Amino acid sequence: MWRVVVNILLLAGISSVVKAQQEKVAYSLELDSVSIVGKRPLKNTGIQKTRLDTAVLHDNIALSLADILSVHSTVFVKSYGRATQSTAEFRGTSASHTQVMWNGMRINSPMLGTVDFSMIPSYFIDDATLYHGASSIGLTGGGLGGAIDLQTKPLQKDGIQVKYIQGIGSFDTYDQFLRLTYGNYHWQTSSRVVYSTAKNDYKYTNYDKKTDVYENDILVNSYHPKERNKSGYFDDLHALQEIYYRSNRGHRWGISSWYTASKRGLPFLSVDYKQDSEFTNEQKIHTSRTVLSWDYLQDCFKWSAKGGYVYSDIAYDYFTKRQDAVSTDITHSRCYVNTWYGQLAVEYSPVPRLFFSADVNIYENQVKSKDKSPYHIGNNYDKKRFEMTACLSARWKPAERLAIAACLREEMYGKNTIPVIPALFLDYVISERWNLVAKASIARNYRYPSLDDLYFQPGGNPELEAEHGFTYDGGVEFQLAQKHYLLKGNATVFNSYIDDWILWTPNTKGFWQPSNVREVHNYGVEMTSDNMFFLSKNTVLDISGNFAWTPSKNYGEQINSNDASYEKQLCYIPEYSAAVTTRLSWKNWNFSYKWSYYSERFTTTSNEVSYITGRLKPYYMSDFSIEKRFSWKWTELSVKTIVNNLLDSEYVTVLSRPMPRRNYELFLEISPKFGRKNNNLNQLK
Amino acid sequence: MNYKCFLSNLMLLLLLFSGGCDNVGDNEEEEFSVSGDGVFILNEGNFNAGNATLSYYDPVTKEVENGVFYRANDRKLGDTGQSVIIYDGTAYIAVENSGIVWGIDINTFKVQGQLETEGTKMINPRFVHIVNENKAYVTDLYSPYVNIFNPKTFKYIGAIPTKQPSNRGYSSTEEMVQYGKYVFTNCWSYSNKILVIDTEKDEVCDSITLSSWQPKSMKIDKYGKLWVITDGGYATSEDVYGDNIPYLYKIDATTRRIEQEQALDTDEANVQIALNGGRDTLYLINNDVYRMSVTDAHLPVRPFITAEIDANGKKHKLYGLNVNPVNSDIYVADAVDYSQSGVVYRYSSQGVLIDKFRVGINPNSFSFK
Repeated sequence: MWRVVVNILLLAGISSVVKAQQEKVAYSLELDSVSIVGKRPLKNTGIQKTRLDTAVLHDNIALSLADILSVHSTVFVKSYGRATQSTAEFRGTSASHTQVMWNGMRINSPMLGTVDFSMIPSYFIDDATLYHGASSIGLTGGGLGGAIDLQTKPLQKDGIQVKYIQGIGSFDTYDQFLRLTYGNYHWQTSSRVVYSTAKNDYKYTNYDKKTDVYENDILVNSYHPKERNKSGYFDDLHALQEIYYRSNRGHRWGISSWYTASKRGLPFLSVDYKQDSEFTNEQKIHTSRTVLSWDYLQDCFKWSAKGGYVYSDIAYDYFTKRQDAVSTDITHSRCYVNTWYGQLAVEYSPVPRLFFSADVNIYENQVKSKDKSPYHIGNNYDKKRFEMTACLSARWKPAERLAIAACLREEMYGKNTIPVIPALFLDYVISERWNLVAKASIARNYRYPSLDDLYFQPGGNPELEAEHGFTYDGGVEFQLAQKHYLLKGNATVFNSYIDDWILWTPNTKGFWQPSNVREVHNYGVEMTSDNMFFLSKNTVLDISGNFAWTPSKNYGEQINSNDASYEKQLCYIPEYSAAVTTRLSWKNWNFSYKWSYYSERFTTTSNEVSYITGRLKPYYMSDFSIEKRFSWKWTELSVKTIVNNLLDSEYVTVLSRPMPRRNYELFLEISPKFGRKNNNLNQLK
Repeated sequence: MNYKCFLSNLMLLLLLFSGGCDNVGDNEEEEFSVSGDGVFILNEGNFNAGNATLSYYDPVTKEVENGVFYRANDRKLGDTGQSVIIYDGTAYIAVENSGIVWGIDINTFKVQGQLETEGTKMINPRFVHIVNENKAYVTDLYSPYVNIFNPKTFKYIGAIPTKQPSNRGYSSTEEMVQYGKYVFTNCWSYSNKILVIDTEKDEVCDSITLSSWQPKSMKIDKYGKLWVITDGGYATSEDVYGDNIPYLYKIDATTRRIEQEQALDTDEANVQIALNGGRDTLYLINNDVYRMSVTDAHLPVRPFITAEIDANGKKHKLYGLNVNPVNSDIYVADAVDYSQSGVVYRYSSQGVLIDKFRVGINPNSFSFK
């Protein structure tokens, strides 16, 4: 019986924790998932993807999606601490080459083209799927590196559910999470709130400074001072409201609305001698995102429509708190973003061997960017832009072991259209016993410039062309289950070229300008593995890991004969990275150990190593957590302690940005039962 | 697999992974002792990266040492190095975005003193000018004050309010030159002013208004004439801070009247001026290096030194400029892509290339021992 259960789980494409998987299967809207049980979903033909399930995403409420991605995927996350801007880069590309969808709607900033993953609490995401390279074409265009699909989902439980988590940690950190849900067969509602605050003024030894001690004008000693992280505070509130309804006729409606109010100090550099008591350097963001959705399952069809709206105001202030009580604005920037979104999509599978899909997505972006400080009077720009992306795809299974797929995507922005983006995918089952599958894909892709790239004043360059790339990859994946273990893994080799890469460089007037200058060759290997060992009736060990080798070389035309950046690794992109997560569940105890590694990174385009700031040395990081769960008749309770930077390393991830040393956080989670027994809707029905 | 054996292997695996790893820490301070002539080259680095560096070049041996400030002091120079000058055995280095002015020994490169932010009156220090052995001025990009300190003790003395109206909000002050008891400073950022400071009263006593925006560089010749070059600001579709046309001005320091002005080629080129040691010859970069006698009425049409042109026709963009006051060797820099080690060209006073060497990121200021 056990073997049967394990095999069913495997065939459904499952790893990770059983409980989380039950939740996912229960509410899967995907046609392929519900109609092709026990087979490889045609929708995934040739797709290289990494799926992060609820168990990973909901590890602890202090984590943002940036933290999750950095450990549980081969994506490189550039960050310099909690609540600081964090961007994610696939396969050695840039942050703007990562497209991010939230419940179907793209949430990349229309101004910058990037997403700040530190603004996404991992507890607000129930399912995250990373599409690497060409695999992103089926989801959206512009993902020259890849795309990340974030989904929220109903808890799918009957009655009222309440969960509250309180976290208290080092550096005056407080995290609160509350979730209220109500559900029956037709209705599911969920209200979530995360509120996190911290002084974040951790102490560190500042190796970038030195204090000299003089006696009688003679230097007698010097030492690196202990300093505190200045202006690193944050005060983030997130609220997410979801309502879902499903009819007896196969219709499903949903609304998800996510509000963020964030106030963050922008930490001073370690080489800054100014005092945060005299200067304020702060970013305030208010964002609301709403998506309405409709899905309808009808025989061989699945119809869906979505509508959405995003509003965001972003304030950035840098001013002096003058002793004479007169404040001077150095920067007083205000940006207002409005985005309207719509989608129509259809999936059609007339026979199990064929699957067709089509979708159209439209976005209307309106951005007003201005700076009112006396140093930058006037509007940076005030622009609207209409964007559209449409995709047609067909997937065919000509033989039991073989599946092929093709996508054609067309995109337009403003008055410009980009050439049709073609993509081809291939799947071949090498061994059914090992679930060993070979995959391959090939695609062109384009990313058009962001509004800042085109219009920001001063510097914006309306003559910019879309970046374009060509990528192909191939690899194998396997799944293997035996009585006491469940192994899953994949390895992919990829190769891609990006031309007309947009790069901002300073000009002679003192401001920065973008231009299409680079040609970049990214290639390498990605490997992931996720393994579960059922050591005894009450003991499960889960070991997952990933490794990436991502050379990302500049082959752009040399600026002049002094340009030494040709064939050099791009700045801040590690050539090697790896991470391992080990989770041990024993009775009501959970232990977790996370280890991650990044190889050296260069800070200059010429990969200069002759001076200290030319590179960042490699570093390892270890985090540990221990959790004890209690269950009483009236409630469930868990107590969890996390130790970050377990080995107390002193390190930086970005130049002049020291990271915190060993620190702790304690979480208390309580889930009252309200008289429920087993109320999983899937089991009830 | 045996259960205990498995756990043992697992623990071993964890131990292998558990090696702690610091990627920052102490470094040994190197002992330098340079003698004779030498050139300090300040490399401003990238904004918000904290990677400004100092290079030292020996013109006799043609050897260059990069990152000497860090190597000698086991501390970073800071974020966005702006200028370096030498006075009485000390090199004064203004590091703009770190809010600090360093003083280092010109032979050992060891820190002798540092002027840190005093209140909020010194925000982004740009240039240092030694008024006398007990008084120095520091100009600032953001602060509406010129700060005063003692160049021997590095003690903060006070500040001179620039008292400028907020016409397009400028308060910045840049380079300084002295004529008698008056110090002139050009206001680069969104301005067209030159301020006159009375060094006895430490107050702004007068100003000169230019017809062109953003005076970027200023020198004074042997005849008491101020030479000022503007970058012309910039004109964009959304707003206008000038017309992009750089101008060269000659101003009498006594009467404070403009005697000559000349529009230069409209271009996005970096513009800088420098004088030779005798202060009778003006050098100017505007794509190429131009040279004129300070008594000439106009810049010559043809450049004195043409920036290097590659085999494939690409011209190097010149970034920094200075002239050795002793032998009039000319030093110009190429910042390449602004994110890699820059290159310095050294020419003889006759415009013959003598040497070419790599320094740090964005070399922008030279000072001669």
